[in-house]
Amino acid sequence: MLELERLYERIIQRTNINLRELGFGINPDEVQNLISLSQIIKFYAYYGITTQHPIDFQFKNSNLSGSYFLGKCKVTNSLLYKSDIRGDELKKKGDIFIYKNFTIPIKNNESIDIQDSMLIKTLVHNFSHDPETPEQFLIKDTVSLHCANIHGSTSRGCYLEPFATVDLTAMRDCVIGAFSYIQTGEINRMNIKPGTIWVRDPDSFNFLYRHPAKKLAEYINFQHDKLPTGKLIDFVVTRKEDFQVVFETINKAQTVSIPSSASLDRYAVTKSETRICENVMVAQRAYLQNVWLGKGANVQENCYIINSRLERYNVTAHGAKIVEADLGEGVFVGFNSFLRGQPNEQSSSRLTIGKGSIIMPHTIIDISDQLHIPDNSLVWGLIKNKKELETNSIPIKEVEKNVNGFSKGDLFFEGDGAAFIKAFKDRIQHILEANGAFYDGKNNKGHAQKNQNMSFNTIQPYSEGDYKGLYPTITIQP
Amino acid sequence: MNQTIKALMVPISEYATVNKDATLFEAVLALEKAQEKYDQTKFQHRAVLVLDKNNKVVGKLSQLNVLRALELESKKIDKIEEISQFCFGAKYIANQLEQSRVKGTSLKEICSKPSKIKVEKFMKQPEEYQYIEEETSLEVAIYQLLTGPYLSLLVVRKGEVVGVLRLTDVFLTVVQAMKENESTNKEKKG
Repeated sequence: MLELERLYERIIQRTNINLRELGFGINPDEVQNLISLSQIIKFYAYYGITTQHPIDFQFKNSNLSGSYFLGKCKVTNSLLYKSDIRGDELKKKGDIFIYKNFTIPIKNNESIDIQDSMLIKTLVHNFSHDPETPEQFLIKDTVSLHCANIHGSTSRGCYLEPFATVDLTAMRDCVIGAFSYIQTGEINRMNIKPGTIWVRDPDSFNFLYRHPAKKLAEYINFQHDKLPTGKLIDFVVTRKEDFQVVFETINKAQTVSIPSSASLDRYAVTKSETRICENVMVAQRAYLQNVWLGKGANVQENCYIINSRLERYNVTAHGAKIVEADLGEGVFVGFNSFLRGQPNEQSSSRLTIGKGSIIMPHTIIDISDQLHIPDNSLVWGLIKNKKELETNSIPIKEVEKNVNGFSKGDLFFEGDGAAFIKAFKDRIQHILEANGAFYDGKNNKGHAQKNQNMSFNTIQPYSEGDYKGLYPTITIQP
Repeated sequence: MNQTIKALMVPISEYATVNKDATLFEAVLALEKAQEKYDQTKFQHRAVLVLDKNNKVVGKLSQLNVLRALELESKKIDKIEEISQFCFGAKYIANQLEQSRVKGTSLKEICSKPSKIKVEKFMKQPEEYQYIEEETSLEVAIYQLLTGPYLSLLVVRKGEVVGVLRLTDVFLTVVQAMKENESTNKEKKG
């Protein structure tokens, strides 16, 4: 394992060099407490084969254990543990990338390019929104920890703590605190505290909410030398074994009947009664237990939906969890949100969310009494009861009317409310389209239709010697 | 320009000073007293130097630091001030501050609590670039004022603060030099 150890130390050092000006340093011994090298050599890696996306994988001097690759991906001098590198939304040769006033022609198929980085249980998805590297989705000198999302965001010299999400943002030399969500287009040399939700368009609006530190620690608490703890971690860990069964089974029989226009990934968990309607897309590492998914709903990676009903055109973004809840038509639940009602038997305390509502990324709703969120609400923050819902929600219409900004509870909003809501609604529409929610049997194909009939190949590392744990250099092309 | 700053600085003995255990109110009284004593033909002091028990300068309390002390009463205000790092506009932040104030509170009421708090809480510790040797030329001092965020510099001799070089005094010296130059030119033409 000598070479693996060298690689590990090199990655930590490179990240530390980038973060030195923030006065931030990762202690290699502390990170070893989070993920031991002896653990990460145990699992095979796998990649998807489909005619719908370019097959172009290059792996060099890296450990890839338990990780999944789709589309054009290149991994060099990196450690990836149980991460999803999903390149099914990368730009393709001939596409036009619009960035503000620039119309950028794409000359080559875009590639996810991971260099000198360590990604632990991290999702990488979407396409690079950095206009400076339109054909390269670059992640370099970066360490990201458990359940982080790097979504359409290039990253150089960054450290993402557990459950952090960086979305559509080019980041450089930043620390992103646990359970923070950043979508600002660009971010440089910032040390973001845990629980910061920051969505900004420099030309239109600025949304900022920060979770109260003590209350957030109940759900996700991260000290640099220990594994993250809290209710979110407990929730995931208690369902870990269900995934082990899925990953250990080579020929898995489909347990749920699905329409021909829908897709249920072979690496998703399905338990109890689950009903999947037309044009539904369920991604790998999703967890469904006693669920009703209406037409065109999509459930993305690392989502857990339990004892819940989602009406048509729901979007459950990466890492969101929905338990004992009923969601109306067209509800958007943002990244890593945790929405938990209680079973009917316990004082009828289910969570209901009215149609057209937007649950902001990284929202926590954890109730012990029944809670109803009215139609077309914007919801954020940490909510445990009706009173906290009043402080942490607002009718979407009110936001749209606002032209200068407002504050409510710990939320600060500046700018054009209508532009903010439009940006979200456009994004939701794009997600539905990309996932094939509007497929009519002929037109509007998306992931639900394109990702069907995918084959998977597995690859393995050296099992002994100095290179133990490292994968040999591998190039896979059609 | 071969003039040093030694002649321009305000000696520390003429400057307002307080011990770090003093309250904010005692500090502003010390400032008032120093202003009364100071030569009325010169610009008044705008800050108080804070000393430790060995009379070493450990901080500086400016007029802005005193005003900022009044803001500390509200947790909401702390949060509003913190958001400036997230690219919110000055106008938006000002509006939020205005809205967060307790309506009908008099200035006396706002001052009552902070004035009893120790000055150490509100002072700013001097930064490395805020110090200047007393034998430094005026030219270098002007450069240091131009490139830093400070309106005054702490003048040191053998590591001890011996005075304060204020922007106003440097400015007056420059104005005086301009006048002398003009008058010399007129004499030559005449």
